[in-house]
Amino acid sequence: MLQRFQYAAPATRDELLGLLAERKGRARLLAGGTDLLVNIRNGAMKPELVINVKKVQGYSGITWSRSEGLVMRPATTINDVLRDKNVRDLFPLLSECAHDLASYQIRNRATVIGNVVNASPCSDMAPALLCLGAKAVIASKRGEREVPFAEFFKGVKKTVVQDDEILERIVVPAASSGARGLYRKLKRINGHDLGIVGVALMKKDGLLRLGISSSAPTPILVDGLKERDDIETIVAAARGAISPIGDVRCSKEYREYMVEVFVKRLFAEVK
Amino acid sequence: MRVHVTVNGRVFERDVEEHKTLLRFLREDLGFTGTKEGCGAGECGACTIFLDGKTVNSCMVLAVEADGSAIETIEGEAKDGRLSVIQEAFDRHHAVQCGFCTGGMVMSVRELLQRTPKPSVDQIKEGIEGNFCRCTGYQQIIEAVLDASGQKELADKGGLKHA
Repeated sequence: MLQRFQYAAPATRDELLGLLAERKGRARLLAGGTDLLVNIRNGAMKPELVINVKKVQGYSGITWSRSEGLVMRPATTINDVLRDKNVRDLFPLLSECAHDLASYQIRNRATVIGNVVNASPCSDMAPALLCLGAKAVIASKRGEREVPFAEFFKGVKKTVVQDDEILERIVVPAASSGARGLYRKLKRINGHDLGIVGVALMKKDGLLRLGISSSAPTPILVDGLKERDDIETIVAAARGAISPIGDVRCSKEYREYMVEVFVKRLFAEVK
Repeated sequence: MRVHVTVNGRVFERDVEEHKTLLRFLREDLGFTGTKEGCGAGECGACTIFLDGKTVNSCMVLAVEADGSAIETIEGEAKDGRLSVIQEAFDRHHAVQCGFCTGGMVMSVRELLQRTPKPSVDQIKEGIEGNFCRCTGYQQIIEAVLDASGQKELADKGGLKHA
């Protein structure tokens, strides 16, 4: 049984931001619920108020335009991303990462924004968003601010989002459309599992970027590389950026080794 | 909070506590005990149901979130006393042993066949990746899904023969 909490399902953004400001730190936002309700169940989170964001007007769907880029909102699910034709055609790396996240029925419910605001080191969506130069648009009663994902994660389960704020939009810039990329995730089993190591590699206009999960306190971006760099340079950059731990799922050395294996494979596979 | 839901075509209206999961609401308040609680954390899929046409783990949905929704559970799978095509195939291929996973498994298979009427073995494995079965080792379930999707020959060739 879950512990008790109050519940609100605001219909407007103003109402939602008002509740967040009022209950500062004592409220939790509910989107897919696939992390929040588990955290409440095991006692890791004890919110006084749970605020369902899915009824807020304008908080669903994915939109794409050359001027605005690709925009994902608080109720945009992982399967919404996988079903979106613009994502498939223009941002295949997002589909790659989404496809490796959990199981089908979780992808029906879990949201892209939930996957990044929880700031798990093993977030599957973060590697793609980091590579694609996405930005977070964060809102509160005080106003709105934009933070690039490269500056978004602050530690294990910590982000720049404050208690009275909501990550309201993820914007992937139009400039990243057409980027080629793949994601490789090491798991204990072939099916639904948390990542042991995840590596995304993107190539676009001569640039090469890596987004790496489960290999540091936060998902990380390795930037400043070029498509024509030799593989030794790229591997060295990846090795220099990661700082994995050993834990119940594998040792530190194995993580380091597998990051290198994935970087080498992806470098050859991403044409 | 007052909640209205439709379950397998029947309308229900109940008062429910805010912190109650949809799974517990279905089982304890409405009596739909075919939906099971395994892990309670989205790992095992025994609680899989349809919520407004999409499969979800009902252990990770609040009952209050489902207000106004149409829900389908394993109890709605057989129609007019007749098993569905999926249930018959599960029966033929011995894809049920203890039965604890079966309700959720059938829900995931139904969603898979709705979007992929003739799935490959790999597509079947992916479709049921969120549903654990600790008895069958999955082989019989995969064969049952092949059979239910009109691929009986493949089902019969699928390694072990069970029927």
